[in-house]
Amino acid sequence: MNCEVCQLKELDVEYFEIREVLRCILHTIFFHRALGLVRPKDVDLTLFEITYVQCGDAELEKKVDEKIDQFIDRVEKHPNKKNQICLSFFEVKNKQATWFTHKVEHLYWEQWYINLNVAHHPKPHSGKSHHSKLVLDPGESASDERNARRATLESSLHEVLFQIIKFVNEKKDHIPPIPNKEGVSFPYEITISSSSDSAFGMDMFKRMLQTGHPTMLS
Amino acid sequence: MSVNSSHSELAKTEQIITEFFAKSLHIILESRSPVVSSRNYNTERLYSPSPSMRPRDKWFNLALRDCPAALENIDFWRQSNLEPMVVDVVLVQRPVNWDSTRSSPKVGLERNLSSKDYRFPGIWKSDCDEFGCDGSHGTSEKIIERWIVQYDNKKGCKDGFPGNYKRLNSTSSHALYKKSILLLRSLYVTVRLLPAYKVFREVNSSGQIRSFSLIHRVSSSVEPFTRKDEAEMQQFMFTPVDTSSGKLCVSLLYLPSISDTASESSTPMSPQFIPDYVGSPLADPLKRLPSLSMPQYSPSSSPFARRHSWSYDANRVSASPPSALPSPSPTYSESRTLQAKYGSHRPPVSSRYTSLEPAQGHVKDIGYDEYLPSPNFSPSPSPSPPVGSNMLKVLLRSDSAPVYIPASRLGDAPLSSNKMVLPFSPPLKGIRPSLSLVERSSSITTTAGKLSLREEEIARMSGVKISSNNSLHKSSSRSFSRLSFEDSYDDSDFSGPFVLDDDGIMDPGSRPGSSDRSGNPGTPHERIKSQDAAVGALVQMLKKAPPLQQDLNQSQNVCKTSRPEYSCNQIQVHDHHPHPHPHPPVGSSTMSSSRVSGIKTTSDALEELKVYMDVKMMLLRPSGKP
Repeated sequence: MNCEVCQLKELDVEYFEIREVLRCILHTIFFHRALGLVRPKDVDLTLFEITYVQCGDAELEKKVDEKIDQFIDRVEKHPNKKNQICLSFFEVKNKQATWFTHKVEHLYWEQWYINLNVAHHPKPHSGKSHHSKLVLDPGESASDERNARRATLESSLHEVLFQIIKFVNEKKDHIPPIPNKEGVSFPYEITISSSSDSAFGMDMFKRMLQTGHPTMLS
Repeated sequence: MSVNSSHSELAKTEQIITEFFAKSLHIILESRSPVVSSRNYNTERLYSPSPSMRPRDKWFNLALRDCPAALENIDFWRQSNLEPMVVDVVLVQRPVNWDSTRSSPKVGLERNLSSKDYRFPGIWKSDCDEFGCDGSHGTSEKIIERWIVQYDNKKGCKDGFPGNYKRLNSTSSHALYKKSILLLRSLYVTVRLLPAYKVFREVNSSGQIRSFSLIHRVSSSVEPFTRKDEAEMQQFMFTPVDTSSGKLCVSLLYLPSISDTASESSTPMSPQFIPDYVGSPLADPLKRLPSLSMPQYSPSSSPFARRHSWSYDANRVSASPPSALPSPSPTYSESRTLQAKYGSHRPPVSSRYTSLEPAQGHVKDIGYDEYLPSPNFSPSPSPSPPVGSNMLKVLLRSDSAPVYIPASRLGDAPLSSNKMVLPFSPPLKGIRPSLSLVERSSSITTTAGKLSLREEEIARMSGVKISSNNSLHKSSSRSFSRLSFEDSYDDSDFSGPFVLDDDGIMDPGSRPGSSDRSGNPGTPHERIKSQDAAVGALVQMLKKAPPLQQDLNQSQNVCKTSRPEYSCNQIQVHDHHPHPHPHPPVGSSTMSSSRVSGIKTTSDALEELKVYMDVKMMLLRPSGKP
């Protein structure tokens, strides 16, 4: 089985935009991988004119929010770094138990890398509040610049979503058989890393070794 | 058997393809066909689950909301999977001066009839005639999206050779179904990311009069675009799903920028009067209550008025729902009228600062009596009306905190027993320590009474004449009563809003409006301290005090009347010679009294010495001399 890897386009976001952007991307991916019976739930973003779809699983929504919180905490600890979230789908394979080991193996068959470049520090001493959306900047140029940046990010987010759609359409053969369950059909894990980590690239490399197959970039 | 299985596979495949057409049409029209009856299109639309899962909902594991437009068209495509399904989403724009009364968007279903494609009997009249879709009234149409769903059947699969059965197995219905699920998932996400979705949301939103609307056309043939239109369109193709006999394809031609056109032609909303805006008292009077902060411990607040505001509200909100709370603001304006209605007996909330005078005086006269009863007095939250009203007035005086008054209690009489517990619970807490102080005050008054009596003793001992006991008792009782007043009403727990009452009590002639915390002569604590000190001093004196002067007086009176005998007896005790001595009678009485009392002064001692000297002289004289 191949492990399909999708490196999504890097997005330049501000601190207060992280949550919405990550929710949009992660839930769009999950909607394509929740292949059991779902009742779609449309969610409108508040910062952008984009409507994304959730699979309607409350448990999943909760887990996604928790991971986003962890990501935000990491961003606070590692400011001005490129941060990455990796969403991996795997199959659980039980290795043959030996007399001294009994290990459960994860066979990754799909990995999504969401790359965010957080532009501003979340703390107020940077001079800009993370609620800058509501702050009335006296300078017209600053507001225009902010609007332009926002429009650029919205367009980029649009591109990322279509990137996901395209990837899902093109790669279908690697998906395991669909189990008969509601919600997300396959086991998954979400990991967070940043460029400051020495293992930033090593995590990818380790997983590549674990899957035993070379990455196939779309 | 393999043939049968292949036939079953083919049947399954056919069924999957048929349902795929229906599902894709449902997905497209669900987000392109405006809902006429919908008013509120929330930003987060939740799927409203149908009470029972229909079989169609389970196809491709995607349960969708009802879409009447899709249901009307689905049956057509069941008949032939080989014909493409073309869904055109048309933006219809009308002139700006379009009659707004006929602006409700209609679901426009118009069959694209052609001689080739007239396969289905019946003609659906376009519902968009009212909107002028037929080009009349200056309307214009523009196809902003064209969805094409088709099943491209390969002729090679129709041969029926055994080799084809293997090909059928490689692309089994199971794989087809799985891939169809993925494709439809992508379709569902994609339709919401396209520009036409924004138009759809705008059309669906309520309260807006727009000059544009969306209609759709479902046909089996493709009406070619003009070159100009085709140049404007962009194409998006979903990856086809391979089947045993062909491919399932979904493609799209769309206009990348239509939002500008739609937003420019929208008519500004006419001004409307919003009676139930957020924050208005009509919308939710309950919301106003938390924002209001009733003054606490303000010198001019009083439970008096609060209580009467409850009763006022009971009369005012008799028709209101039980959960509705009257806000003080309306009561303020209306309480003034209520004052005129009920007179001074029910001072309104707004005038609680000024209208308490008569009630206070009334309380002054009655409160004293109420506090005089036995120490077993306990503030009952359910007093009987004639006494309870006065008691309540007194009880409420300690309450200065805002009290949550449910409307359900307002309809009841204020003096109803059960329903006054809650409103009066805060006052009770404030009253309990004060009641103990009341009890303490009574003990203080008794000690004060004792103190007055002891003062009488001291006065007597020091030779001060006291007119009469009666007058003394009167004065003591007067001081007693005064102390009781002060102790009961000058307590710190009654302070704050009740300083006003204290002034009223202390000086009925003063206006209660002139409330002053520092106006009281001395503080209750200081008085209590001085009284405690006096009590301590009294106790000390009592410890050292001789028996009561009453006994002394009695003994004095007795001695006065029976002095000769007593003195004689005394002399007889000390002298066998029954010769009265001129001094002894006087001194003996005093001596006897002093002996009886035990108090010996210097003069007494000297007199006694004289007596001894006389006795000695008498004894030394010769006894036989004639």
